[in-house]
Formats: sequence, structure tokens, C-alpha cells
Amino acid sequence: MITRLALPGRVLGAQLSRAYWGELAWVIIGAPLTLAFAVLVVLGLILGAGLSLLTIGVPVLIGVLAGARLIGIAHVGLARALLGTTVTPPARPELRPGLWNAVKGRLGDPLGWRSIAYLVIRLPLSLIEFFLVATLFVYAVSTLSYPLFWFTLHGEAMPTFDLRVDTWPLTLPLAATGLAVLLAMPWVVRGLTEFDRLLVRGVLGAEDLSKRVRDLERSRATAVDDATRRLRRIERDLHDGAQAQLVALAMKLGIAKDELAGDGDIEQVTALVTAAHANAKQALVELRDLARGIHPAALDAGLDVALSTLAAGSGIDARITVDLPSRPSPSIETIAYFTVAELLTNAAKHTSSAIEVDVGIVGDDLRLVVRDGGEGGARPVRGGGLAGIAERLATVDGGLDIDSPPGGPTVISAEIPLRK
Amino acid sequence: MRVVIAEDSAILRAGLVELLNLRGHEVVAAVADGDSLCAAVREHRPDVSIVDIRMPPTHTDEGLRASIALRAELPGCAILLFSQYVETQYATELLADRAGGVGYLLKDRVAEVSDFLDALRRVAEGETVLDPEVVSQLFTATRKTDALAGLTPREREVLGLMAEGRSNSAIAAALFLSAGSVEKYVSSIFGKLALPQSEGDNRRVLAVLRYLES
Repeated sequence: MITRLALPGRVLGAQLSRAYWGELAWVIIGAPLTLAFAVLVVLGLILGAGLSLLTIGVPVLIGVLAGARLIGIAHVGLARALLGTTVTPPARPELRPGLWNAVKGRLGDPLGWRSIAYLVIRLPLSLIEFFLVATLFVYAVSTLSYPLFWFTLHGEAMPTFDLRVDTWPLTLPLAATGLAVLLAMPWVVRGLTEFDRLLVRGVLGAEDLSKRVRDLERSRATAVDDATRRLRRIERDLHDGAQAQLVALAMKLGIAKDELAGDGDIEQVTALVTAAHANAKQALVELRDLARGIHPAALDAGLDVALSTLAAGSGIDARITVDLPSRPSPSIETIAYFTVAELLTNAAKHTSSAIEVDVGIVGDDLRLVVRDGGEGGARPVRGGGLAGIAERLATVDGGLDIDSPPGGPTVISAEIPLRK
Repeated sequence: MRVVIAEDSAILRAGLVELLNLRGHEVVAAVADGDSLCAAVREHRPDVSIVDIRMPPTHTDEGLRASIALRAELPGCAILLFSQYVETQYATELLADRAGGVGYLLKDRVAEVSDFLDALRRVAEGETVLDPEVVSQLFTATRKTDALAGLTPREREVLGLMAEGRSNSAIAAALFLSAGSVEKYVSSIFGKLALPQSEGDNRRVLAVLRYLES
């Protein structure tokens, strides 16, 4: 609710606001820019279509589209800088190998075609905007200065508009209309650029839904790969570990049995049974470790218990603070646990000092922060541990933020949305 | 016997060496991957090689590939494949050359020490030995065609036991039959599968192969 008293302040404030000047710049730059670009693109299209399509026309078209793409990106940048509108342009289609696919991919570049459409719609709009704004400005400036040069005109109309008054005092109301127009300009410009915002968003912005679908597809693929990799690792661990131990155990017991059935040498049987006993114990250790890797039993008691158990068991010096008003869902707990586990292992490689781990709720997210006093310079490398964590978090719409200046300290925070 | 062992698990390798030494066999080489296996067999010409199927680098079927290459190079070189799982595909690939002297056992069989050593000896002598588990899977997996369609259920049973590499007397004991009736079943199977009496071929192996390929 805005009071009347505030109105003069608001009007004056609007004259000086950055947004207004940005929008003004957008309108003024827009017309010549769009005109030049549109002419270029239309010429290119005519040229491409006019030339024999199969030989030189296609490269020309591809060139035009690539140019249009750049123009589109430039407009997205301008819109962000001047209009404060942020849009994500549609991604370039993924190029598959092969000439035909390359041509298809380039000709099917959505941003290129959208930029052309944008230019076509924007051209009349930008010209109308430009002339309207220019006319209003010229009117405001001429009428405002009219009282000053009224004497020089000797009754003639002013050079810009066909306006004249007979006596000097009458120039003042006219000047007042000019002032009103000048003061009203921010709202006029805002209204005009509102169309442009819609246009930029609608034509140059990727549809949010399709982007979301793409993100989901990607994260689903990650989840599936991750599960497959994990299962394969479990199978390998079983095969190379517990299973091999148990086979060796069975073999030793089998020999011992045969020895006992004959007139076995008691020392040899003792040695066999001792070795089998060692195999059995080793198999138990391997199975226990494997089971813990699949689902740490301590997690049933909650994240804080699980994380302190983890730190104690790994011999990593970590100070763990968990502050959760209620327990998140098991899947969130599990992903949080393994995220912290990997971050701790990572951090322990680079520092000998204590690592701080904080787990809490921020808004609707579970937030994990792992802080270490190492030398810093942690970067996600493709295929590396941090990138893996980030991908896994993405499967539940979470994110990873890495702050690791050279010289440390490294602070890595992960956020996981708590879905109800 | 002189034996080469190819097994990437150190525990099992050591266990096998110990077992064979204890029973008076000589382990001439114990290696952990396919390439070393080929080299060792070329160098030592053992009576039989015990080969793990999954070995480095990819842990899929290195042992099988190396064995097939070896048998192509040195016909009749006896190989006992040794695996944690039953892969009927592997068994059929290995048996494809029909030369005998091959075996495919589950690792668990090594617990029955004397059976295992017996299987190893039979492979060294040029017979074909398949794990009972392999045989039963092959029974369920393959769609039996004309060749086997003519066999009675009893004859199939006998053929299955034959595929495991059992002797007639062992089959008789397993099915509670007299040795004579097993003989009859066996020759009836050979007849139905059109396996001629000949010196060179091991008819029992051929019967099993016929059965695997159908």
C-alpha cells in the first residue's frame, strides 16, 4: 500500500533507477541492432534458399543458423544485463558422428531457428518502441525548453511539433505537459519492454518443462548406472572375497575329512583345521564389511550414530555435529551418509587436522557441510570422487557446492531436498 | 600328474597347490591370468591344467578364451575349467572341438576332495567331465530336438549322468540298476543318437556333445 506522500519520491526515484536506464538503453540500442541483424539473417536465408540446396546452400544455411544462434545468445545476454530477465537458451542438439547427423544436428539447432523467429517478431516491435520513445522524449524536451526559446520564434510554431501559443505565460502549461511526459517515461518504457520480456522468455528461453525432463532423464540414467555399478562391485567383492574364502575353507575341511577317514596324521589335520578356521573368520570379516557397505547397520539408529560410528571406525579425526529436528526418510539418510562418508575419505587424504562435519536443516533442505584445513584447491574432476558425489546428489535434486581456495580451508556443502 | 593352475584368487591358488601336493601331484606352474597360462602350458606341457574362468584384466571369460586358444594350438591339451558359477554357454564353447579332455566344474566341488581329484584325473586321460549343476542346467536350458526326442526318460537320466563323466558302474549305483541294464541303456542311447562304434572317438563324449548341441 503506497501512500500519496510517497508518490513524489517514487516518481523521482524512478527517474534514477538502474532498471529504467537499462530498459531505455534496451529500447534505444534495440532498433538499429535488430534492423541490422534481421537484414543480415534474411539476406542469408534468401541466399541459402536461392542457391542450389544440396551443394552450397546447406553450408550457407548452417552458417546463417550459427550466426543466428550467436545473435540469440547476444540478445539473451542483453536481456539479462538491461532488462534483468534471465532465461536459459535451449541446448544445442547433441551431435552424433557422421556427416548426415552433423548436418541434421546443425540444421535442427532450435536456438538458431528461434533467434530468426525472434528477430522477425522483434523487428516491427523494436521500431515502434524506438519511435514512440523518441517522439515522447523529443516532445518532452521541446515543450520543457519552449518557455526559453518562445521569444526567438516570433509566433512561429516550434520546429519539432506543430505547436504554438500566443503569449509567453501559456508556454508554462505546455512545459508542464512535457514535464509530465518526462516523469511518466519510466512507466511507459516499462510497459513497452514488458512485451520484450515475454518475447525473450517465450521465444529464446528453453521451455522449463523440457529442460526439467532432460535433467530428470540424465539423473535417472545416473541412478541406474550407479545402481548397476554398485551391484557389480558387490558381486565382485563377494566373488573375490567371501566366496573364495569359503571355497578354500571347504577344501581344507574336505582334505581333513579324508585324512581322518584314513589313518590321518593328527598334526596335518590340526594344521588343516586351523587354516580352515582362519578362512572362516576371514570370510566373516569380508561379509561384514560388504554388508556394511550396502547398508550400515548404525544407520538404523539415525544419521548421528551412523556418522560417529563411521568416523570412529575409519580412524579419521572428525568432529561431527548433527542437528535434525526429526529423522529424514531412509533414502535421504542413506544418501547423506554415503555423501559424508566419501567427503570424509576425500578430506582425510588431504589433511591431518580435524575435519568438521555439520548436518542440519536449512529451509526445505538437509544441508551437510564438511570443512577441512587442508591445502585447498579441491576441484571436481570428470569421473572423480567429487563429480561422482555431485551426480549422485543430482538424482535426488540435490547439489554440491565446493569452496576450496588455494591454501585452504576447503568447505564442501551438499544440499538434499527433503521430500515429504 | 603334472598340473598347471591358473587362478587369480591367491587363497584358492595356494589351497589348490597344497591339495595337489598333498595327494602326490606336481604343480609345475601356478599363474593368475590367461596370458601367463598360455605361456606356462607351452613351456611345461602339463598333463592337465586347472583354469579359473574369470581372471584379470576384465574378470569375465579370460580363462575360457585362453583355454580355447590353447586347445586350438595344442590339440588334446587337457583343461579343467573351474568357476564360481554355471555358464552353459562357456561349457558348450569349450566342448565345441569334440576332442575330449575337457571339464567344467563348479569351485564348490573342490570340497569333495576325492571327487575333484578323480574328475581331474579323468580329464587328464581325455574324458569329458561336466559338473552335475552344468548338466542339469543344460537339461532345462536346451530345447531338445529330434536327436534326443527319441530317448526315454530313463535313457535321458543315464545320458545326464554320462555327461557328468560317470562310469557305467557309477551310473548303475546312482540309479539303483544292475551294471548290465546300464550297458543296455548306454548302447541304446548310442544307437538312437547314431553314434557308430569306432576306435578313435570317445563315444560317451560324442553322446554328451550331441546332447549339448541339440
